[in-house]
Amino acid sequence: MPAKQLSEVGIVPSAGVMPTPGSVPPTWSRFRYPQSLYKYGALLGAFAFIAFALDYLKIPMDRLPGMLGRMGEMLARRYFPPNVDHILNAEYWHTVVETLQMSYLATVLGIAISIPLAWFASFNMTPSRRYVYPIARLIIMACRSVHEMIWTILLVAILGFGMLPGALALTLFCIGFSGKLFSEAIEAIKPGQVEAIRATGANNLQAFIFAVLPQVRVAWAGISIYTWDVVFRAATVVGFFGAGGMGQYLRESVQRVASRDVAAILLSIVVVVIISELMSAWLRTRVAKAIA
Amino acid sequence: MQTVLEVRNLHAGYADREILKGISFTLNADDFFAIIGPSGAGKSTLIRCVNRLVEPKSGEVIFNGRDMLKLTPAELRGERRNIGMIFQEFNLIERLSVMDNVLTGRLGYTGTFRSIFRLYTKDEIKQALVLLDRVGLGEHIDKRADRLSGGQRQRVGIARALIQNPKLLLVDEPTSSLDPKISREVMGLIREMAREFHIPVLCNIHDVDLACDFCSHVIGLQDGVKKFEGPPAKLDKQALQEIYAMEVL
Amino acid sequence: MNALSIDARVDGIAAGRRRARALRFMSTFLILAVVVWSIEAIVIADTDWNRILTGSLLSTMQRFLDLDWSLLPDLWEPALETVLMATLATLAGLVLSIPVAWLGASNITPYGKTSYAIGRFLMTMSRSVHEIVWGLIFVSAVGLGALAGILAMAVRSVGFISKTIAEAIEDVDPKPLEAIRAAGGTKFQILWFAILPQIIPVFVGNMIFEWDINIRRSTILGLVGAGGLGLVLFRQMAMSNNGGIAVVILAVLSLIIFGEVISYYARKAVI
Ligand SMILES: Nc1ncnc2c1ncn2[C@@H]1O[C@H](COP(=O)(O)OP(=O)(O)OP(=O)(O)O)[C@@H](O)[C@H]1O
Ligand SMILES: [Mg+2]
Repeated sequence: MPAKQLSEVGIVPSAGVMPTPGSVPPTWSRFRYPQSLYKYGALLGAFAFIAFALDYLKIPMDRLPGMLGRMGEMLARRYFPPNVDHILNAEYWHTVVETLQMSYLATVLGIAISIPLAWFASFNMTPSRRYVYPIARLIIMACRSVHEMIWTILLVAILGFGMLPGALALTLFCIGFSGKLFSEAIEAIKPGQVEAIRATGANNLQAFIFAVLPQVRVAWAGISIYTWDVVFRAATVVGFFGAGGMGQYLRESVQRVASRDVAAILLSIVVVVIISELMSAWLRTRVAKAIA
Repeated sequence: MQTVLEVRNLHAGYADREILKGISFTLNADDFFAIIGPSGAGKSTLIRCVNRLVEPKSGEVIFNGRDMLKLTPAELRGERRNIGMIFQEFNLIERLSVMDNVLTGRLGYTGTFRSIFRLYTKDEIKQALVLLDRVGLGEHIDKRADRLSGGQRQRVGIARALIQNPKLLLVDEPTSSLDPKISREVMGLIREMAREFHIPVLCNIHDVDLACDFCSHVIGLQDGVKKFEGPPAKLDKQALQEIYAMEVL
Repeated sequence: MNALSIDARVDGIAAGRRRARALRFMSTFLILAVVVWSIEAIVIADTDWNRILTGSLLSTMQRFLDLDWSLLPDLWEPALETVLMATLATLAGLVLSIPVAWLGASNITPYGKTSYAIGRFLMTMSRSVHEIVWGLIFVSAVGLGALAGILAMAVRSVGFISKTIAEAIEDVDPKPLEAIRAAGGTKFQILWFAILPQIIPVFVGNMIFEWDINIRRSTILGLVGAGGLGLVLFRQMAMSNNGGIAVVILAVLSLIIFGEVISYYARKAVI
């Protein structure tokens, strides 16, 4: 091993860097045995992995340089200008309303189910740690681990095309999403207030309503709005798999390889999602102020 | 005199650690018991065993002629209505108004359905109002609990306990979060109300002087064992040394 | 004190409580009215209950339960593809996130308000557009295949990764920063020596989290032609082989559970 310079082993600070008085010697000095060995080994492993993955997936590396430019050009050629006429009609607007309805129903229903489920799935408040808690957690986990589009595909296969499978798939997604966050909020409450309510002779439900709900109210309101955002975003595309809403148009245009129509629809999806995000950001501040 | 609470050979602990090692005492009507002892002696544990916020391991807690430890959950809730509790950290529902906080003391008497809609009877509202006037908060009924000062919060806590019409008052260090002047005011208020409504009190307290000034009877606890019991007058230096042996060392 | 009699005050309070209750009822009623409207459209108008109830429902479900295990040996390769795609996408997302976080962290953003706004806008764009939409965009740009899926996931990951990095940077302890600045360090040195070491823990935890999510995403990106298990699923759907669909979904689930186990241990190792 070559002799190290003092600055490299961290005895003397590296050029340009002065330690603050009394601070420990800097830990980020560059060469240190054997950590440096692990570090470079890991780095080497990572590169080997990337090389293997790129090769396995047959990713055309030679096409990568200049890809951005070509991509932009291709997009511009195929998608520009978006065929706005395709979406500027009453029928399309109707699907926007459908999307709203699906996401609204799914969010309200999902949250209504999530509330008791989150209560049962919170370790500190669950009525029974032996039986209810694991079952409730399992339900939430199951809803979470299946991607919302897979729920959609399954339900469309069972129930046929239409808004119902979309709304149900989004409901399941919503349960998995808000249920987890809700129960985490319950697990963060102060136990003293629960004890005080229990000590008056209140039952479990009363303890939940009077000691838990007031404490999680603000957090839950924020989570609900966030959930709505996520559900709405998903609702714009469930139609792609045969559930209703704007996604239907997307599917139909993609199948016709009508790129300009697709561009118009994608654009409209981005616009409505951003509008909904702006609205929920506004709502969030309003609600936070109203119930804080 | 009538016995209200009798504790016999009570053992309790958390997980496999024993905190209370066989405590016995008897509380009669009109008694005002103070439980003193060093931090960690098990004072809070003892008080919580009475209404089973902590589940005791063995022993008997006879309240109202029934052994609390043998009650079913529903019976326990029924019995808890008769036991008011006041906490060190107040434990008010911070986002509810003072009025609503006091009314939660009636939950044990309110059906589940009615409580969902916060439907209390006019009598209950009137009782809450009278109590709030009595503790000096008649002007603050619509304020949110987290906007009150410490002393005011503890007064809400007292009103919440009293609206239960309790036959026993459990008080866990009511003054540790308050300054000395307010502490004496709050202790005075508790004693006054207890006398007025003839409610016996079991009160944890850190401060020996406060205990001697306000209480009729003192229990000294050390490491889960009762080391002293008697009127404040008998609490001499030697007794104190025994109770606080660990701290003196 | 109070001039009013106690009964008058009780009446006042009771009236106030009634008003508050009426208000609560009103808002609940409003929410429910919109629910009813949505149910009318979704469950009544848009659903052909006749078809669902006349037997097709049970028989379809039955066909799903009739698992087609012959597919299993052909699933290993797509599953590996899915994992590789998710991993590469997370790494690519990280690379893309660094400049975005740099723009979007208020304490180090290079050109004040303008660059900050640009950074935040990029974050919002990335999060707001569903991965299916990103997938469609990239498929048409670079053609069918894994690359489109990786790019879609990478772009979709940028929102979360860069936002958390930016927040971590904003929370950085300013003292080492000042020390280096006082010693005449360059901007790059500040980034490298003062900020990076402080944000690495947050960073690694979030990368694992995002990887976990990308495993989930990669299973469905195949649906828009991006390879992996999703592509197999899509083919089974096209053949309407319900037993096959069920098997692929089970495979996806086991992959996700596998991902969760890995990320659980990885997170434990990091923290
Ligand atoms: N929920 C709990 N779980 C486990 N151990 C606990 C719990 N509550 C209290 N303990 C332990 O039991 C012992 C007695 O606690 P307790 O609160 O009864 O003491 P205390 O006499 O009230 O003390 P202090 O004056 O500090 O309030 C302490 O050592 C404490 O650490
Ligand atoms: Mg205590």
